[in-house]
Amino acid sequence: MLLAVVGPGIITGNVDNDATGITGYALAGSQFGYELLWLLIVTAICLVAIQSMVARMGTVTGKGLSDLIRERFGIAPTLWVMIFLFFANAATTVAEFAGVGGAAQLLFGNIARYAAIPVAALLVWFLVLRGSFRVVERVLLLLTLVYLGYIVSAFLAHPKWSDVIHHTVVPTFHLTPPFILIFITIIGTTITPWMAFFQQSNVADKGLHPDDLKYERVDTVAGILMLNVVAFFIIVATGATIYAAHVTVNPSDPSAFSKIALALKPLAGQYAEQLFAIGLLNASLMAASVLPLSTTYAITEAFGLERGIDKSFREAPAFLTIYTATIVIGAGIAMFPGAPLVLITNLPNIINGMLLPLLLPLLILLANDKRIMGRYANSPLFNVFSGVVMVFLTAVTLAFLASIFFPGLFGGR
Amino acid sequence: MIFLSDFLNAEVVDVRQHRVGRVRDLVVVMTEPFPRVTGVILKGNRKVRSLDWSVVRSWDNKELSLKVDAGSLQPHSRADTELWLARQILDKQIVDMDGRRVVRVNDLQLSQVEGSMLVIGVDIGSRGLARRVGIEGLGRRVTAALGLDWPQKLISWEAVDPVKTDVSSVKLRIAHTKLAKLHPADIADIVNELSPDDRSAVFAALDDEKAADTLEEIDEPQMQASILERLDVERASDILEAMAPDEVADLLADMPRERAQQLLQKMEEDEAGDVEELLAYREDTAGGLMTTEYVAVLHTLTAAEAIERLRELEPDAESVYYVYVTDEEEHLLGVLSLRDLIVAKPETKIRDFMIKNVISVRLDAGPREVAEVTSKYNLLAVPVVDEHNRIHGIVTVDDVMERVMPARAGGRRRRIF
Repeated sequence: MLLAVVGPGIITGNVDNDATGITGYALAGSQFGYELLWLLIVTAICLVAIQSMVARMGTVTGKGLSDLIRERFGIAPTLWVMIFLFFANAATTVAEFAGVGGAAQLLFGNIARYAAIPVAALLVWFLVLRGSFRVVERVLLLLTLVYLGYIVSAFLAHPKWSDVIHHTVVPTFHLTPPFILIFITIIGTTITPWMAFFQQSNVADKGLHPDDLKYERVDTVAGILMLNVVAFFIIVATGATIYAAHVTVNPSDPSAFSKIALALKPLAGQYAEQLFAIGLLNASLMAASVLPLSTTYAITEAFGLERGIDKSFREAPAFLTIYTATIVIGAGIAMFPGAPLVLITNLPNIINGMLLPLLLPLLILLANDKRIMGRYANSPLFNVFSGVVMVFLTAVTLAFLASIFFPGLFGGR
Repeated sequence: MIFLSDFLNAEVVDVRQHRVGRVRDLVVVMTEPFPRVTGVILKGNRKVRSLDWSVVRSWDNKELSLKVDAGSLQPHSRADTELWLARQILDKQIVDMDGRRVVRVNDLQLSQVEGSMLVIGVDIGSRGLARRVGIEGLGRRVTAALGLDWPQKLISWEAVDPVKTDVSSVKLRIAHTKLAKLHPADIADIVNELSPDDRSAVFAALDDEKAADTLEEIDEPQMQASILERLDVERASDILEAMAPDEVADLLADMPRERAQQLLQKMEEDEAGDVEELLAYREDTAGGLMTTEYVAVLHTLTAAEAIERLRELEPDAESVYYVYVTDEEEHLLGVLSLRDLIVAKPETKIRDFMIKNVISVRLDAGPREVAEVTSKYNLLAVPVVDEHNRIHGIVTVDDVMERVMPARAGGRRRRIF
């Protein structure tokens, strides 16, 4: 029974460990050692609040998040959310294809990037639409076992476990721009609007019954746990190797990836780069197939258009057009020679950051609506919980946006 | 045109111009065929939460004026079958009978009919979306400046069925695949009610024969032409091949010359030849009215051979009223009914029992003359001949009646859109 329900949460959690995620954690570990480990507990709590809400809504209503937003709030909010979501997801897709390119570069040299991105785009498009998405999903999920490498590597590097535990439990914060930037990056890559849309569509598609709610909760928490365990060990592994060796990693440096790969050296020795590249490739591919799909589901839901990966072009023209366009845009921009990588990895964070404060109140209102949720509406306790999460995330994203538009705000650089 | 979105959020003022609140929703009762607005749900007023539609005097530009003063307002009278438009219909998913998602309800069209405000249509187009976010005017100016047409996309309320138990979706009463089982005349009636896009979707779901029959049942040549124009050339020509040549000729005459030419080229040669011949005649003559689908047999045949020949030809029901008898050069010599053929001794030559005195009309005869001939002699069809008495086709009684009496009694319901 549990196995039949499990899926949406675990998949969402693992897809969240995408190119931007892996890079973000690795940068955190290599720049600040274990100091940001505590943040993972915070992001996990936030994710549990948001994802369990959408999982509950999907199970109870059998509808996607866009469906509910359109039906409950009408056209204008829907339109805004969709515009932001499209650009946020398209920007994230660009980052994923850039991740594919980066991995190819590590594996086969500089030129490989220009071959790998279009091939990956075609592969993703073809496998999702014409192959079996479920099979693709499972294979990619299985490949996430590569991340076990970080766990092994973390142990082999013999970190000072007392430090690790200390920083996990006791928050550290520096009011310096690089620290704030990485702090916000981790929140931005971990807590994303597309996850909410994706998990709810996925749950709704599965046709779960409210009786399945307890299993669905297990699924959600399991996904978030997996996500955070991997993140935790990436930070520990990079902290114990790169940070400990005082290697400086500059995110805008083209060789940043190969430096980050050093974290896997205790396990893989001279093949560290290759192992890192395989992990990055897998993460990027998984996200590059899921993100456009999630975008497409959300938009077709909002406008009530026919959708489904098994539909022909004649049956669901809008669905296939949006899906294809997102992939083409994502891969196309990532292909651009000399694409500014920093901007590419930061742009999704910026747009996601703008969308999140817009989306969270809608989410909470929906989950409280008795007419939609019946007796499964938010409990008062959960409202306090999700309210705190909302205020925290809104504050962080507003601070982040402020730092983008007024670069001198946190001490200048 | 009046839309629900014009009312939502409108300021409500009483007879003394005092502000009463804003419109949250309109309440309708499910009367047939169109739901009638009975009340207004207010927001921004703690005391008066709703009011009866009967106290509304007028509305314009985001303001609703009442006939009475705020103090005497009563809540609207509730009914079991009432529906809140904004809450229960607007933005809901529209699915067709097969459960296929079509679109969402972007807006609702209202109309003032004999003092009642009725919901007459569902807006499913981009204009409805734009109107809801307040940029319809802007969009219209932009499209006009670009010289583009920005049509409203509306479907009649009669074609939808709000499912009360599950207010999250609105069902279309028509399913594309179920449609195929209906009689072509009924399909034509439904097609009449649809938006151009829905029409072509329906045609895409029908097979060639059914599509051809349905197209023949549609009265308006412009509509027939517009349906065909939206199909791709291959498919359109397949449908045309399955239609009677006279209908095809009429239809092509209403199309842009280029497109008609293109379709003719794609059709099989035989069929195209017949149609081209018909196209050459003026529309208001027997030549323009006639069809080339008729049954003719050689005068030298015996009754048995003639019946055998009929079997080979497999004529359509419409053209088998009469069997015409000709010589080798298609000169019209006589006519037989099926009955005559069947009761005659099999070995008798048909020229020995055919009716020699055939009533016919000339190619250039006007519709009125053809009508007079058919009614005078009580004919179901009359042959059309040239000056040398060679047969070119027949005019059936329904084709000529349609021409001389365009406004048939009990004709089709007028379409709203």
